[in-house]
Amino acid sequence: MSGVSRLGRALLSVYFWAFILFLFVPLLTLVVFAFNESATPTLPITAFSTHWFGLAFGDTELRNALLRSVEIGALTGLLATALGIMASIGLSAKRLHLRGLIVAILLLPLVVPYISLAVGLLILLKELGLQISLWAVLLGHVVIALPFAVLVILPRLRSLDPSMVEAARDLGSGEVTAFNLVTLPLLMPSLVSSFLICFITSFDEFAIASFLAPSGSPTYPVFLYSGSRTPGLLPELIAMGSLIIVFSLVIIVIAEGGRRWAELRLRGEAAEDAGTAAEPAGALAAT
Amino acid sequence: MPESVSGGTPDRTPRVRGVRLRLGRGAFVIPPLGVVLLLLLGPVVLLALYSLNLRTNIPGTPTAFSSANWKDFLTGTGNPFRGRFFYSMKITVLVSVAVTIAAYPLAYFLAFVARRFRYVLLLLLLAPFFTSYLLRVVAWSDIMLNQNGLVNQTLWLLHVLPHGHGVSWLLYSNFSIFLVLFYSWIPFVSLPIFAVLENMDHSLIEAATDLGSNRLSTFWRVTFPLSLPGVIAAFVFVLIPTTGEFITPLYVGGPNNQLFGNVIQSFFGNSPDWNYGAVLAVSLIAVVLVLMLVFGRFLNTDLRQGEAGAGA
Repeated sequence: MSGVSRLGRALLSVYFWAFILFLFVPLLTLVVFAFNESATPTLPITAFSTHWFGLAFGDTELRNALLRSVEIGALTGLLATALGIMASIGLSAKRLHLRGLIVAILLLPLVVPYISLAVGLLILLKELGLQISLWAVLLGHVVIALPFAVLVILPRLRSLDPSMVEAARDLGSGEVTAFNLVTLPLLMPSLVSSFLICFITSFDEFAIASFLAPSGSPTYPVFLYSGSRTPGLLPELIAMGSLIIVFSLVIIVIAEGGRRWAELRLRGEAAEDAGTAAEPAGALAAT
Repeated sequence: MPESVSGGTPDRTPRVRGVRLRLGRGAFVIPPLGVVLLLLLGPVVLLALYSLNLRTNIPGTPTAFSSANWKDFLTGTGNPFRGRFFYSMKITVLVSVAVTIAAYPLAYFLAFVARRFRYVLLLLLLAPFFTSYLLRVVAWSDIMLNQNGLVNQTLWLLHVLPHGHGVSWLLYSNFSIFLVLFYSWIPFVSLPIFAVLENMDHSLIEAATDLGSNRLSTFWRVTFPLSLPGVIAAFVFVLIPTTGEFITPLYVGGPNNQLFGNVIQSFFGNSPDWNYGAVLAVSLIAVVLVLMLVFGRFLNTDLRQGEAGAGA
């Protein structure tokens, strides 16, 4: 029915699972060696040990770097999502002059290479007479995260049934009240997706942070970069890294599962139609 | 300002200092637009000014229009940075082509073979992409590919190589750069191809089969041509970010495998020459913009039209 022979199906399955193996082996090695007693991440596995986790949690510099990245990531998620909501409302206006140009500008951060943006922001700070700071890192991250927020929120806003807002307006609620009580709750799944995607973008960002974070207060990727060049620090960084990888995999599964669940609930039985089916892909495609 | 918008009805026009402003919903684009203009276009304009020596970071240096740096980069004989640029583009195109070809069967498997579980398997394929990029590169450079790393150890265990004699080009080579970039992009690139295959009108494939076309010719004459927009989107999705790549070479590249991004980085590091660095940074932006002009129409984000678009 789909034009794939039995042999073709078998070959494609082998191909797919071989790639899954290829993708997950390096991640698994991080987890395995996190529990290996040896101070170098090589075979043979000498003995099971949680020693490196103890060291990792005791390392205040590592902990502070992580905290900085979590804070900047969360603020990036909030700010970019808020700006994404505004942009989506604006772009869904019936009449908007220069719509094409506005969309192009809002999506521009997707294509400007981070390294060029990073050095450009460095110059901008100097021209404004400002020092590099974590605030500058935050602003840089908001800019690169904003297109993702728009790409996640706008399709959702467009897919809402306008009659729901009209009903609220007819029942006497003002424009702001109707937005808060009707539109915002309906947008919620996409807002959560947007927050998470923006958070991940910021949490993982290296180029901008490496130029704009002061040397005494690195973000986690910057700390990871300098630390992994120091052999003595590598085992504890691998331990913390394995935790972060497992944690992010769990979050991805929960987020995607939860989002689909919410979509199904909001949409009712029409869950099997192609629109719903394509949407997880669309939301993820934004990164 | 471009936001001279009229969308609201007259009874909802706010008064600002007695002047009646007709601001509709469209006005909401002003804050996000302002952020991008200040923090993205601002830096790009400044880079352009620096590249033309109209501003400088070195105190006491006279600033006047000069295209000397541009001339040196673009036409200077044997300019090493231009050499790095072409090397980078070669690697980038190679990786993009390889990743797109390798991703096609993955997307095809998800769309046509993995019927019921396709979204679970898609998530499985995409998941590594959402874990820390830096950690994945560290896993390759410090666990998999190093002299005593897992790859060499496995070869020793299998007696492919005598113990202690590793493959010399596993790390700090073109191979390692290629492998790690390939590894990083493969999950993500399957996505646009999958979206196209998934939303394809299957009745066309059935029609071809009904008319007597065999499986292979149906694929080459119907399925593949219809999936081309997704293939091109996938290709561009790798091509554009990889042009500015500089983390992977820091870990797994030797001195001869550094990419153009690393060259830009070096001009803003310890011995800064922002004016020359700006030439390189602007060149990179220009290349990406040209790529977008050529390929942009294949990236159907559906934002310009009024439809609620899903696929990337």
